[in-house]
Amino acid sequence: MGMPVSSSPSPLLELRGLSKRFGTVQALDGFGLDVQPGEFVTVVGPSGCGKSTLFNIVAGLDEPDDGGILRFKGRGCHAKELLGQVSFMPQRDLLLPWRNVVDNAILANEIEGASRREARAKALAMLPEFGLAGFETQYPHQLSGGMRQRVALMRTFLFERELMLLDEPFGALDALTRSMMQRWLLDVWQRHRRTILFITHDVDEAIFLGDRVVVMTARPGAVKLMRAVNLPRPRAPDLLTSPEFTAIKREVLDAIEEEAMKSFISGTAAPP
Amino acid sequence: MNATAAVRGAVGAVLILALWETLARGLALPAYTLPAVSQILAAVAEHRSVLQAAALVTGFEALTGYVIGALAGIGVATLLILARPLRAGALPLLLAINSVPVVAWSPLVLLWFGMGVASKIVMVALAVGFTVFLSALAGFDRVDRRSVDLMRSFGAGRFGIFWRLRLPAALPLIAAGLRVATVRSLIVAIVTEMLGAYGGLGWIIYQSVTLIDFVQVWAAILVASMLSLAFFGLVGALERRLIFWR
Repeated sequence: MGMPVSSSPSPLLELRGLSKRFGTVQALDGFGLDVQPGEFVTVVGPSGCGKSTLFNIVAGLDEPDDGGILRFKGRGCHAKELLGQVSFMPQRDLLLPWRNVVDNAILANEIEGASRREARAKALAMLPEFGLAGFETQYPHQLSGGMRQRVALMRTFLFERELMLLDEPFGALDALTRSMMQRWLLDVWQRHRRTILFITHDVDEAIFLGDRVVVMTARPGAVKLMRAVNLPRPRAPDLLTSPEFTAIKREVLDAIEEEAMKSFISGTAAPP
Repeated sequence: MNATAAVRGAVGAVLILALWETLARGLALPAYTLPAVSQILAAVAEHRSVLQAAALVTGFEALTGYVIGALAGIGVATLLILARPLRAGALPLLLAINSVPVVAWSPLVLLWFGMGVASKIVMVALAVGFTVFLSALAGFDRVDRRSVDLMRSFGAGRFGIFWRLRLPAALPLIAAGLRVATVRSLIVAIVTEMLGAYGGLGWIIYQSVTLIDFVQVWAAILVASMLSLAFFGLVGALERRLIFWR
């Protein structure tokens, strides 16, 4: 069961009127979103809608333009203060080829200054949960795409931060692996109780995973639709064909369609 | 190198040597044109103590200069990566120095460091240093922007990113530079010896030419090439062992 969406008085992350311009390109324009502790929020939108810019800001890598509000744990802050405060997983796994599975998984902990021995012990205990038992001494080039992705996810989970940013983590996987990974992620999320902000292109994935789906407008990115997903948890694959699911999907698809047409007509459907 | 390739290489070498021997003997070529392989080998055997002593001198110069140059090359590249402003100031100067063939510096280096081993070591260190410096700098720069961002998001600073990402990511290129530098180190040591020295393989080559002893020249060349091959092979083997993920 997801955490209550509206009753918590203090959101973990508050974004108000967030804008970002790169040269002549307005990537984000007045983006606003509150994320409650323990919530799973998914973000969908047409290509080039500024999703990655949004993530780079929340990860602390990019500073938003002046005028917006960025609050984390109830305190206003610069984006750069979020470096090391949120657990970020980019689209590609970015595993280091010279580190084996365990040492890749503990990279963030090592950077934090944790004892390597303790971090390794923790990672070893976590391996079975991530379907990597017995693979601890393998190197990335010896693993399949799905396994590499799980190592990257494990690295993200081991970096114990309340807020996790997942940028299309399953985008490169085949459909079957993908749906298995989705159910597995929900399982892990419910056990570890983290707050997740999740970017995806896939509407089914957004609804299946999220407590709330945020649809972004075409560039410049803003919130087009905010839709609560009041579907029971734990969620099983047959949910995908239920009338409740389909109703939400229709609503989300309509919103996306409208935005996709806009960006198609303006001919600026550039990559993010 | 796998076993088949090794066998093919050995067969090729034997064939070439046999052809060489046949030509030199069959055409009765004079020694100053091309002595027979058997003559060269005989000379190596005959003068082995002299050649061995010379090889030790040259090997010592090359190895010492190599180690100094490699450390300096990696060190300077590291410094320029960690201190960005320094890079803008120092890089053009370094590239200007490097644009002159390193041997052009030898008269000055001989003048400053004398005819002994010191000048050879300095010359080798210069040649190796630039080779390794340029490959290290290229390696440090080659990292994926997204990997740097990931490390930053984990809270890593410039030094942490260097140690955990840039340095290991640069290792394949640094190793390639180190491998190329092995051969350069011996070439530069020998050439500098030919310009003025008290010993070494280059000095023997120079002396033998003035004495019109061309078989001895070839004997010294053979020893030099054996030394060079051994060095190259050793560093290449280390490289394959260390950089297992390629």
